[in-house]
Amino acid sequence: MRYYVGEEARLRRRVEDTAMSVFDRWSYEEITTPSVDYYALFEHGMGITEAQRAFRFTDQDGRLLTLRPDVTSSVARAAATLLSDRPRPLKLCYAAPVFQQQSQSAAEWRRENTQLGCELIGAGDASADLEMLLVAAEILSQLGLQDSCCITINHVEIFNGLAEEFSLDANAREVVRSLIDSRAIPELNRFSSDALGCKTFADLVHLKGKQEVIQSAQDLVSNARSQRALMAIAALWQALETRGVSDLFEIDLGDVSSLDYYTGLSFKVFVSGAGSRVGGGGRYDSLIANFGMSEPAIGFVLNLDSLTDVLSREKNQPQITQIHTDLKQ
Amino acid sequence: MQDDALALLARADIRFNGHSAISRCLISTDDSGEYRAIFVKPADVPVYVEHGIADCGIVGRDVLMESEADLLLPLDLGIARCRLVVAGMSPGQIKSKGMLRVATKYPQLTSEYFGSRGTPVEIIRLSGSVELAPSLGLCDVIVDLVETGRTLQENGLSVIDVITESTGRFVVNRASYQLKADSIARLLNALEQVANGVAA
Repeated sequence: MRYYVGEEARLRRRVEDTAMSVFDRWSYEEITTPSVDYYALFEHGMGITEAQRAFRFTDQDGRLLTLRPDVTSSVARAAATLLSDRPRPLKLCYAAPVFQQQSQSAAEWRRENTQLGCELIGAGDASADLEMLLVAAEILSQLGLQDSCCITINHVEIFNGLAEEFSLDANAREVVRSLIDSRAIPELNRFSSDALGCKTFADLVHLKGKQEVIQSAQDLVSNARSQRALMAIAALWQALETRGVSDLFEIDLGDVSSLDYYTGLSFKVFVSGAGSRVGGGGRYDSLIANFGMSEPAIGFVLNLDSLTDVLSREKNQPQITQIHTDLKQ
Repeated sequence: MQDDALALLARADIRFNGHSAISRCLISTDDSGEYRAIFVKPADVPVYVEHGIADCGIVGRDVLMESEADLLLPLDLGIARCRLVVAGMSPGQIKSKGMLRVATKYPQLTSEYFGSRGTPVEIIRLSGSVELAPSLGLCDVIVDLVETGRTLQENGLSVIDVITESTGRFVVNRASYQLKADSIARLLNALEQVANGVAA
């Protein structure tokens, strides 16, 4: 629960306007989704585990309702139904609050967060992946955060390929995934030598950095599925370098936090001054099929409240004035 | 833990000479000026690191498992080795009761342990001197951290089961791990080398 008043409210509004104007420049159309919706929608969209973080209540007929815990699920449903006749790719963006229960110790303690997000639906090629990263980078640069941010990129098929290569069952896969996610190298080494007789998964954690990571990763993964994913990351990195924005990015093959949701590229946004990530996104080609129409899609969100916090704590006020003048032009 | 951690850091050439156990100074900069240390209670270490106030921390695995903090755990320092155990007056106690009363500083781990065994328990949360509780009749058994086992013996208790082992872990904030990658990798490397020396 928190208020924004005066200067802070103005700053927050400017951050929102900055993001929305970048989306607009990239031809994303604004979409407003319902704040209250059926809970089942989010079980289909976010998956049963993630949806459980939603606040739930019942309608008069007993059906389960919820305050939206994310926007992507609603957008996916709209894409498959309301907007199914529109030409593809469909480019949609939003600035909307989402509501999630938080564990008491979570650093991101707020139950209400405003997401600045966009979705690119019906485009499955590499240029769509690149566009997402460029849009995210442009927003961060416009906010004056280009020197204090880091966008980490990964491809979920690298891990999936390895899990398949070592025939991990669902349980073992989840154990390894969560150990990699928390970079628990001692436990990974123990698990690997006991169960697999190799150190591949522990080595994955160390594969983090710029282009050199791709070379090291090629020595590590031999299966075709992981190799293909690695090639996609290599090509993407090349494109980021050509555009001169690779300074903002890092490859992090140890980022395996939302494997079941994403199907390809996944990325996370960090900004110094915020203790946890301020945004993230990725490709979710299987999501829209849950609503009756199979098509590729990719999207990301930034957390408006976290960004506002970081910017309002920054003593460097001129950067913020800069945003203001940009917008007036 | 703090003495062990400072000794380990010193072997990695990171010395906090400005800090002494007697002084009440809770923030100290190392001799090279590169690192700043904050001295807080064990249970607060995950909190400071998760919020990114501290980039890294050193804390026991028992404390980490009890907290719900979302942190990176790249290194086992091998210091302050101890066991989290169930202890009581007699070994059979854990089975005979319909409802077991357990006193502990670790309610989360305790409820997970007994939950996984299907034993119904009433957990009584204490903040210190847990080993007194059974003889005074507050509880049937305790769940507590044991280093040598002498304190248990002195209170007429013996170990019934070992829940888990605990050692000092090096933990890192998720954002700092990305944004200060080079500094953290350097510190991690230095500590890894001296920690492996300990284990050998």
